[in-house]
Amino acid sequence: MPRETLGEFEHQVLLAILRLGGEAYSVSLVLELEERSGREISQAAVFIALRRLEDKGLLTSRLDDHAVEATGRVRRYFKLTPEALRRMKEMRKTLVRLWKGVEPLLDET
Amino acid sequence: MRAEQRSRPETRLPLSLLSRGLLWLLLEAEDRRTVLGDLWELYEHRCIRDGERAARAWLRRQMASFPLRLMADRLWRMSLQPGRPREAETQAGRSEEPMQNLFRDLRHSLRSLTRTPGLTATILLTVGLGIGATTVISGVIHAVLLQPLPYTDSTELVRIYTDSPPHRWNFSVADYLALKEQQTSFSLVAAYQNQVMTFNRGEVAERVDGKLVTWSYFPLLGLTPLQGRLFVESDDVPGAEPTVVVSHSFWSRFLGGDPASVGQTIRLDGTSYTLIGVLPPTAGPLEQSKDFYAPARWAPPERKGPFFIKALGRLKPGIDRAAATAELQAIDRRLFPVWKASYQDEKATWGIVDLKEYLVGDLGSTLVIVLGAVGFLLLITCANAANLLLARAAQRSREMAVRSALGASRGRLLQHLLSESLLLALGAAAVGAAITSAGLGALHTVADYLPRAREIGWDGSVVWLLVGITGGSLLIFGLIPSLQGARGSIEAALRSGSRGATDSVGSRRLQRALVVLQFAVATPLLIGAGLLIGSLARLQRVDVGFDTHNLLTAGVVLPSATYSDEGRVRAFWTGALSRIQALPGVRGAALMDSRPPNETSNINNFDLADKPTLPGESQPAVPWVSVSPDAFDVLGLRLLSGRKLNETDRDDAPPVVVVDRAWAKRFFPGEDAVGRRFHDGGCTDCPWTTVVGVVEDVRFSGLDQPLEGTVYSPLSQSLGWITRMNGTVYFAVRASGDPLSLVPSIRQAVHELDPGLAVTAVATADELVAGALDTPRTLTLLVASFAAVALMLSLVGVYGVMSYFVQRHTKDIGIRLALGGQPAQVLGLVVKQGMRLVSLGLILGVAAALVLTRLMASLLFEVGATDPSTFLGVSAGLLGTSLIACFVPARRASGVDPARILREE
Repeated sequence: MPRETLGEFEHQVLLAILRLGGEAYSVSLVLELEERSGREISQAAVFIALRRLEDKGLLTSRLDDHAVEATGRVRRYFKLTPEALRRMKEMRKTLVRLWKGVEPLLDET
Repeated sequence: MRAEQRSRPETRLPLSLLSRGLLWLLLEAEDRRTVLGDLWELYEHRCIRDGERAARAWLRRQMASFPLRLMADRLWRMSLQPGRPREAETQAGRSEEPMQNLFRDLRHSLRSLTRTPGLTATILLTVGLGIGATTVISGVIHAVLLQPLPYTDSTELVRIYTDSPPHRWNFSVADYLALKEQQTSFSLVAAYQNQVMTFNRGEVAERVDGKLVTWSYFPLLGLTPLQGRLFVESDDVPGAEPTVVVSHSFWSRFLGGDPASVGQTIRLDGTSYTLIGVLPPTAGPLEQSKDFYAPARWAPPERKGPFFIKALGRLKPGIDRAAATAELQAIDRRLFPVWKASYQDEKATWGIVDLKEYLVGDLGSTLVIVLGAVGFLLLITCANAANLLLARAAQRSREMAVRSALGASRGRLLQHLLSESLLLALGAAAVGAAITSAGLGALHTVADYLPRAREIGWDGSVVWLLVGITGGSLLIFGLIPSLQGARGSIEAALRSGSRGATDSVGSRRLQRALVVLQFAVATPLLIGAGLLIGSLARLQRVDVGFDTHNLLTAGVVLPSATYSDEGRVRAFWTGALSRIQALPGVRGAALMDSRPPNETSNINNFDLADKPTLPGESQPAVPWVSVSPDAFDVLGLRLLSGRKLNETDRDDAPPVVVVDRAWAKRFFPGEDAVGRRFHDGGCTDCPWTTVVGVVEDVRFSGLDQPLEGTVYSPLSQSLGWITRMNGTVYFAVRASGDPLSLVPSIRQAVHELDPGLAVTAVATADELVAGALDTPRTLTLLVASFAAVALMLSLVGVYGVMSYFVQRHTKDIGIRLALGGQPAQVLGLVVKQGMRLVSLGLILGVAAALVLTRLMASLLFEVGATDPSTFLGVSAGLLGTSLIACFVPARRASGVDPARILREE
């Protein structure tokens, strides 16, 4: 399976799902991302990112039947796959390594 | 209840109809439900948090970007991840996906093709040429050879002829009358003779071609009139009012297409004919280029001949050809004793041939040769296109590998590559359609020479041929490179930099195979063209036997109705000839009833007194040219022995003829022919005709026919008969300057004697000879042009492959040169590589040509179908030009700078 790159927004979505306990649906994600980023998040952007992440094998999804009973609407829940967790760990490691010692330089410029 | 609950939140969202429609278009049902649900939840959340107004503004912003983002995402997925539909999509069995893929592929392909305009144009023009040419010729073959004739139940129609192998002679009036009375196999029989008449419109006299037909002619063919009526039995009766049926073209040209003209009279040859009917615009091939039909009122026969009418029959249902032939032969046997005094050819009998075969039979082999040529051309253009696309696929192999790495299946890649070929095929089909249109238009201009040409046009069958031929071409030039392009290993492609996965052994082998194929196909085409060129060159060198320089011919037909008196006929010709002879710029003038090299009006049989024909054998028959005494001097024929004809050889003098050298050699080899006697025309009780002189040979039966002898008889002895038959007599005028400048004064000379006569068929002898070469020249030009294109494409093919070879091996060559290899060695190596392909193709091509050229043997003149010099010449020429094509890239290879290569490494 070839490694596929992750976009910045996709990265953010993965982090948001992790923060929401590893499983989330679109509304909670939009709210979470808006809260964290402090800007309006497009519902469409989240929908598309989730679909792409699912295509990349980093998420799995299920339709929530209980939600239908409770609210009269369908919710699709997305869950991180082990591969996603592995990728996120790896990314974090790489980023931390890359950031190491450069923060002061960033402040200087 | 449950369904109502589910749909509720979505429907409550304040969305415009447009937004709902766009979402409906862009999202699957399930996705739509979740998305709308999510939007509803967020909307509710915002209503509570920010108020309804802000929430609505938010929703508008969302909906402004939603469709655009979805579309962008869709395009992104399509271009980067072809062939990997979402799981959900697969499960949902999205039926529009393949179509969407196709359209997207077509869009992409169009863009990428316009980026390489040279390649695209080359493929479109060459393959288009192949498609167009093949469509035209297959269209002609379909219309002319395969389609039934446009007559009612045309398979029942036959021509009935006098069978005297190798000749198929016409019928005589005596034959036709016997046939009509005695036959039982045919539901109808009819007969006709072609006729030229002068149509008088006020002052203007026009020569018009037509037919004298028996009343049964139209009912037999099943033709019906557009206006008025056709002939009935009473029209045939001698003494009945003269009636005429005209063609649609005549009716529109001369009568303004006026329905009221039916019932009025028109003047033909000075006689008034009542116009009784008009034929529809599209009659059949027998009616092609004929303007009028008048009832044939043939005088009762006094002897078996002359043989000038064509007989047709419609077989009764259930009667087979063998039974009909047997009956015809029985009638002929019964007829033979009746006319034995004037006809002794007991061996000759009657036979039938399908009307279609009679009308188009000779064309078959020519058309099949041309079809072969264009088919080969198409094959070569397709191979060339395939090769170009293969090279392109090799260049794009990295792109393919990336797509494949991103999950595109081989099928998707194949579809993508095929979409490119499909576009090219569509473009080529458009070019082909344009060429087809032009070709079909051109065919109508030669309608007089090509039977049934008027039946050919843009119709369903031509469209289907175009579609089929394009499809076939697509299979060749599209599928091969696409299959190859969609193959190949990803790793190899990604690893090897500019060299791609499709630049595999398989791809290179395929390119080479295509080059071999091109040469294998071009070789027979070139050899065929070479044979035709050789044949044409020999035809052009044929000695016509007379001086064609400054010689003019022009014909006049005396209408038999107004020139029934032989004295008047004689007076006209003597007067006209002496007037023309007296014209300034005229060195000499004569009269002839035939024109060299291929217009013989009469072929006559004869029985030599010294060598009588044995019973049961056919008498010899040769061209019989009636001439005025000056003809030998005007033509410039040298007398070999005896005397020429002179003014004393009148119709009251003993019959004499002059023969040519070939006649003398054929019948009296090594002896003097002068003084020999014969009976001609099958007449046994006529006085003997004596040969009084022998002159040089002149061709009268065509340049490609062997010289079998010609007889010159005094025109004064046959003027009466020629006029009765409405035959043409030509002036042959030797000019001291430009012969065509004499035409107005010749017309004037004729009109001084009879203003109602038309001077027609004006042609110089050079034009007559050139005209005799028209058909072979056109065929040769056609095949040679196709062969030239084939050669060029094949050379481009081998050049391309070798250039590519050099480009790929620049590094190896550089290293070899750095290690002390000589440039000459490199040069030899590359040339040898290329010439190996060429030679293989050539060998296959020569083998194919050995078989195929036999099919064109009948079209060749004095050149064998396996003429060794043509085979050798074409092979040498092919090898020579290919050597140059290989030499250019080889030169480049030997000029590689090893230092630069090593530096780059």
